[in-house]
Amino acid sequence: MKKLSILMIISVVTLTLGAFKSNESKWVSSKTHLKFFSTTPAEDIAANNFKAVSTIDQATGEVVFSVPMQSFEFEKALMQKHFNQEDFLDTRNHPKAKLTGKITNLSSINWEKEGKYDAEINGELTIKGVTKPIREKGTITVSDNMLKVDSKFNVTLADHGIAFEKGKPSTNVAKTVEVTVVAEYQQQ
Amino acid sequence: MKRNKIFKIGLILLAAGIITAGGVIYYMFNMPHRNIQSSKTDYAVKAGQLVIEYLSDPVTADNKYLVQNGDSRILEVSGEVASISEDYNNQKVILLKSKNDKAGVSCTFTHETNPSVSGVREGQNIIVKGVIRAGATYDEDLQMYENVILEKCDIVSKI
Repeated sequence: MKKLSILMIISVVTLTLGAFKSNESKWVSSKTHLKFFSTTPAEDIAANNFKAVSTIDQATGEVVFSVPMQSFEFEKALMQKHFNQEDFLDTRNHPKAKLTGKITNLSSINWEKEGKYDAEINGELTIKGVTKPIREKGTITVSDNMLKVDSKFNVTLADHGIAFEKGKPSTNVAKTVEVTVVAEYQQQ
Repeated sequence: MKRNKIFKIGLILLAAGIITAGGVIYYMFNMPHRNIQSSKTDYAVKAGQLVIEYLSDPVTADNKYLVQNGDSRILEVSGEVASISEDYNNQKVILLKSKNDKAGVSCTFTHETNPSVSGVREGQNIIVKGVIRAGATYDEDLQMYENVILEKCDIVSKI
């Protein structure tokens, strides 16, 4: 009986410590900037989004981005309407895009020491309900009580079922668009 | 002589038609963004209610509030100010959320409406008008609740 209660106390303490620890290792950002840029001989198109939410777990190296698709702002209203439409991003049925990944070089990042570290992420990107593997590079800047992530990578639209065979989009929207990510994290 | 006149009128009409069509295409291409604040409000709702609507049935809520072309519903949301911050675009962000609610409504202002936020304090009850971009949800990857996102906001009234 005594043995059992000691065991229970130990397990409760361990669980509590475990929960505490995983909380401490988690960083959250709601201050983000995602930009996508498409360039063709016909025209350059850019859109900005400041409303993504992201988390980084420094213990496991897990990185998550959740992106509200209707928050992409274009200079031209007509382009924004096209972007949201069913044959483009279909944002009513797929309101969020998601990136989940793991930092593969976790050991080379010192979360306690201020500095700029190169990071590699291996994971999955889901746009318009279509999930594809992704491998990207970025930097993580560690400073006083804050993390900053910078990354730039390419997304091939056809990989996510976004393809234009004819009309203006087929000549004016690039097959591969460049995505720039900036995010500022606070520890939870 | 008469035939010449008909030809002339026809030519003028054709030119007028081309100019009108050109004008319409030009307007379509350069169409201004919808002015949220001067547009009609579609729904007036409490922040907590909107969150519950989304958490209990996200598909129905998305069909109700999101519009296919991205010009989604314009809402007036009332609630308690939980925090005031600023995003990377220097736009003010007010989170409307009661202490007992799982998620809140994040309201992003614009460079033009930012001044409305000065004087707003945490704990105050306000009504904000803006366009909805995404609903509230529990995200298993983030392991946290995501707020409803409202943008192009301004304050309608302070209660």
